Amino acid sequence: MSTVKRTWVVNGERWTVDLPPGRRLLDALRNDLGLKGTKEGCGEGECGACTVLLNGEPVTSCLIAAGQVPDGAEIMTVEGLEKTEGGRILQEAYIERGAAQCGFCIPGMIMSSFALLSKTRTPDDAEIREAHAGNICRCTGYEKIIEAVKLAANRWPEK
Amino acid sequence: MRTVEDIEIRFPGSLAEALAWQADEKTRGRPLAGGTDLMVQWESGVAAIPERAVSLWGLKELKGIRETPRGIEIGAMTTHTELRSSPLVREKLPALAAAAATVGGRQIQNRGTIAGNVANASPAGDLAPTLLITDGLATAASASGRRDIPLAKLFTGYRKLDVRADELLVSFTLPALPAGAREKFHKIGTRAAQAISKVMGACRVRVQNGTIVSLAVSLGSVAPVPVRLPELEQWIAGRRVDLNLLEEVERRASAEVHPIDDIRSTATYRKWVSGRLVRALLEA
Amino acid sequence: MPATVQTRDPRWVGQGIPRVDAEDKVRGRAQYVDDLLVPNGWHGHVVRAPVPHGLLRGLTPDPAFDWSRVVVVTAKDIPGPNCIVSHDRSMPVIASDEFLYAGEPVALIAAPTLRLAREAAEHLRIDFEERPAILTLHEVADQFKHNDPALVKLCGQTIRKGDAEAALARAHKVVEAEYTAGHQEQLYIEPQGLVAEPTGDGGVFIYGSMQCPYFIVHELCEALALPPEKIRVKQAAVGGAFGGKEEFPTWLAGYVALLALKAKRPVKIVYDRHQDILYTTKRHPVWSRYRTGLNRDGTIAAIAVDFLLDGGAYLTLSDVVMYRGILHAAMGYRCDHVFVNGLVARTNTVPSGAFRGFGAPQAIWGLESHVDAMAAAAGMTPHEFRLKNCLVQGDTTPTGQVLKWSVGSPAVLEKSLERCRFDEQWKKCSRGKPGAKSWYGIGVSFFAHGAAFTGDGEARIKARAAMDLDWLAPGRPGGIVRVSSTEMGQGALTVLSQLAADGLGLDLSRVSCPFPDTALVPNSGPTVASRTTMVVGSCVYGAAGKLKKALEQFAGKPIASGKEFDEIASAYLNKHGRLRVEHLFVLPPGTQWDQKTFRGDSYPGYSWGCNVAEVEVDPRTLGIRVKKITAFYDIGKVVNPVLAKGQIEGGLVQALGYSVMEKIGIDRKGRFDASRMQTYIIPTMQDIPEMDLDFVEFPFDHAPPGAKGVGELPMDGLAPAIANAIEAATGLRMRDLPITPEKLYEHSQKNLGR
Repeated sequence: MSTVKRTWVVNGERWTVDLPPGRRLLDALRNDLGLKGTKEGCGEGECGACTVLLNGEPVTSCLIAAGQVPDGAEIMTVEGLEKTEGGRILQEAYIERGAAQCGFCIPGMIMSSFALLSKTRTPDDAEIREAHAGNICRCTGYEKIIEAVKLAANRWPEK
Repeated sequence: MRTVEDIEIRFPGSLAEALAWQADEKTRGRPLAGGTDLMVQWESGVAAIPERAVSLWGLKELKGIRETPRGIEIGAMTTHTELRSSPLVREKLPALAAAAATVGGRQIQNRGTIAGNVANASPAGDLAPTLLITDGLATAASASGRRDIPLAKLFTGYRKLDVRADELLVSFTLPALPAGAREKFHKIGTRAAQAISKVMGACRVRVQNGTIVSLAVSLGSVAPVPVRLPELEQWIAGRRVDLNLLEEVERRASAEVHPIDDIRSTATYRKWVSGRLVRALLEA
Repeated sequence: MPATVQTRDPRWVGQGIPRVDAEDKVRGRAQYVDDLLVPNGWHGHVVRAPVPHGLLRGLTPDPAFDWSRVVVVTAKDIPGPNCIVSHDRSMPVIASDEFLYAGEPVALIAAPTLRLAREAAEHLRIDFEERPAILTLHEVADQFKHNDPALVKLCGQTIRKGDAEAALARAHKVVEAEYTAGHQEQLYIEPQGLVAEPTGDGGVFIYGSMQCPYFIVHELCEALALPPEKIRVKQAAVGGAFGGKEEFPTWLAGYVALLALKAKRPVKIVYDRHQDILYTTKRHPVWSRYRTGLNRDGTIAAIAVDFLLDGGAYLTLSDVVMYRGILHAAMGYRCDHVFVNGLVARTNTVPSGAFRGFGAPQAIWGLESHVDAMAAAAGMTPHEFRLKNCLVQGDTTPTGQVLKWSVGSPAVLEKSLERCRFDEQWKKCSRGKPGAKSWYGIGVSFFAHGAAFTGDGEARIKARAAMDLDWLAPGRPGGIVRVSSTEMGQGALTVLSQLAADGLGLDLSRVSCPFPDTALVPNSGPTVASRTTMVVGSCVYGAAGKLKKALEQFAGKPIASGKEFDEIASAYLNKHGRLRVEHLFVLPPGTQWDQKTFRGDSYPGYSWGCNVAEVEVDPRTLGIRVKKITAFYDIGKVVNPVLAKGQIEGGLVQALGYSVMEKIGIDRKGRFDASRMQTYIIPTMQDIPEMDLDFVEFPFDHAPPGAKGVGELPMDGLAPAIANAIEAATGLRMRDLPITPEKLYEHSQKNLGR
């Protein structure tokens, strides 16, 4: 099995991996890097539990061949959130509003929230809903997640 | 037992390199764009796992949206996010921008590409109807040159395209919305977001003084390929828009399609709602 | 510093404190089964029956394949009787001579990699003789209607009050209709997964995603030929369950345990989503027929119900699902003459199983749709009819139970109707008016949900909770909640911690509530039936109170502060070591129940709810959009209002999916057709309506501090409220779930044809 070497910046740290190019980015993160925070819920890009940020944009890591992620790419997973001010604000807001129940969708959901608030400081209801439409939650009915995103938006750092 | 990890994915440094590989059966690989369709099909066993794949994702030659005399030229690796947020596409190809915004969730829009959506050649491919109504072209390249394929002839059958094995789709050239015309896209899906269509449609219509000058209308998920409705388009030219016409449009559009039952909907509903949809597209 | 702290003054109960597990979850640190490292672990794979019904003639391994690299388990390897001890012993762990559904296990394979295990499976030929199969609810409903002897009845039960047939014959008007609903998939986002490891003493240690650790112990000990104490079961973080991880994990535990014992190493199976949808339990499809009689004055003269569930291939726990169904099928309204005939029929499909509501949503779907039909026949509006006929305190239920306490009716109904201005909105309904741009409709449903186990079930299982006085950390004494109840997202750990802290009269920081491990906890019963907060919570509260009393006795003085607790508890632990106290749940005095006739007090208490749905239907496409839900609930004392609302919101959105989206049928091969998340459609954030929710508290005094069940209640009533609203919007009465534009269209065409 031929492999490719890639160097990425994951949650601010440089990682070099040597892996089959078709390995799913999800598996590379969970198994090669040991970042088990990102979850697999469906393996077909429908549930969004595996959402990570690739150069700041949310993507479903179960549908990306790791070889397609080029050298120098910046990847942020749920484990990287607490290294950022916005991430900590989001985590606190999720906790305060009771946005996590079983918690399995949260590592993906909260990355979508982070991507949204990084670009749109004061999203309206429709923008919040659209930004999270690719993340399925079966527990909460989404209401408390919307509340948490609104709370975090209020507290989001200026710059 | 082969898995996706057994695929030898190759990463060309340029389009020329990719085309050179594709020219030779021994080095040719399955073209791989953002992976949002192919990775699912490979993982689920719906599509056979190929020996080799060639990743087009990073090729700069296949990126970009620009205006040309022939129309808006869109690179094959343009993502749905780029389509929906491009001011040029939003102004000149509003139905396409609208359709791109209904593909999957944000995550899929960030990886899915126009060429990937077309090459997947699913009758439920979200972009196809909005491409067909422009009477535009797809451009395929091979080591021996380029070939324009009218979009009307591109889809040849269920999951089949008029693209040779040694060719790669490189761009789409779509005539902009002419002055005085309007475009609409509408998708009837299984839910409000991240939905695969039951029926979807797009139209480009020019109305002058209450009379239809020209109509291009296209439907997806009603046949093995996305279709135009030539009989309706021919019949309607020169007619005045009024309630009677809209009712007749509904009847004729419904009569012109022959959809099937599947997991998402029924043939009878699709046939009926196709007429309703085309009518709604024409209603201002 | 306060002079005294009153132990019985709730300090935490009633507060919407954050979940105790929230921090781990938002940081991605919660450990679900697939996140755990399993040193030397192998992967398991299940070889499955290819058709829905057949005689198994044998398994032929391909001689060209190198079998030394894998371990294969067949029915012959099962040390004890080949059965899962559920409500009967009919279901084998692995099929041996006959299989009854497509996908039933016929062999198990473990290998160092999943790929190798799957490859081995491809080299194992299944020799079988196909037999005829029954695949759908519609087939069994037809058999039932025509008294066809071919109907395979897995179980049956009736409820009788008065003489329904005679009352129907006398009634002023008779209203009759049939209602159906298909399967519903739980679709927890974390798929099923378990690990089994052989222990040194010949036993097995099973851990992973589950609702009911003791089910695994008790249902597998016969097949594994192990005493219960040699099967240790521990829960990992669970990514949603909703009933789907109630009985199914026992099957999966059987697979991993048999493989681990034969392979002599840990074996893990984590399903992918496709396998999870294809091979795990779903909500029972239902066919019900209501025949009801009305008196001239608009009261109900008689209710007669046939209630048929599609149980799938084996009984498992379908009898109890059906019991809960029939107990709710005529519940909620005053009526002296009731007959409910419940039965479960076999089809050659995956056994149907537990799913939030457990038969009640299926029953209430028919009942609350039918109440609108009765109202129309009585010439009354749906809300007038309900207000006139709903059960209130002092009334008698279909089983003869007198509602003596904690009755949130008619409060929930009155408050909901008022909040959404039902009367005003009802007059605005479109009723399919031609030419409208949009059709508006409003509909209501009203329902009760029996809290805890049916009848004397709670007394029979003798559920008990323990509180341990122990060191939480060196130098830090505290109370540890020891129950088998599990956290699956609903907030059990948080709520039980709140109750324990109040029982001890201490701060939450002096309480801990770890994931259950059968080596450490008594059996507080399964985490099902909306019983955890009410029953187990009350036991925890009681045990904590006893623990405090014991410490006070030891010290010879009351404990008035956390500091005093620390001193006294430390002194106790240093002198005597760990202290465990237990508390048993006791049914209210005078509770009577006859399991044969289904007469008596069917539940110790009821939660009550009312849902109002407002919908818009697009006349162009018949697309349905639920715009708003107004709902009031009586769940007794609300222990944590944030979590309780979270339960309601999430349950309502599941119920929304059940009502208008979630469609899954059986394909020609006898397998579920919508077997991926691309095809099994559940609501996204874009699909959810505005929700206006509130509580009215009628505490249940027989289980201090007075909570009743909340978990299942939000699943119960939304579907009929939506169907009622859709009729008000379109004029079309839909009697089959889910209600889709396709069905509306088909129905509208039928009506035109008449």
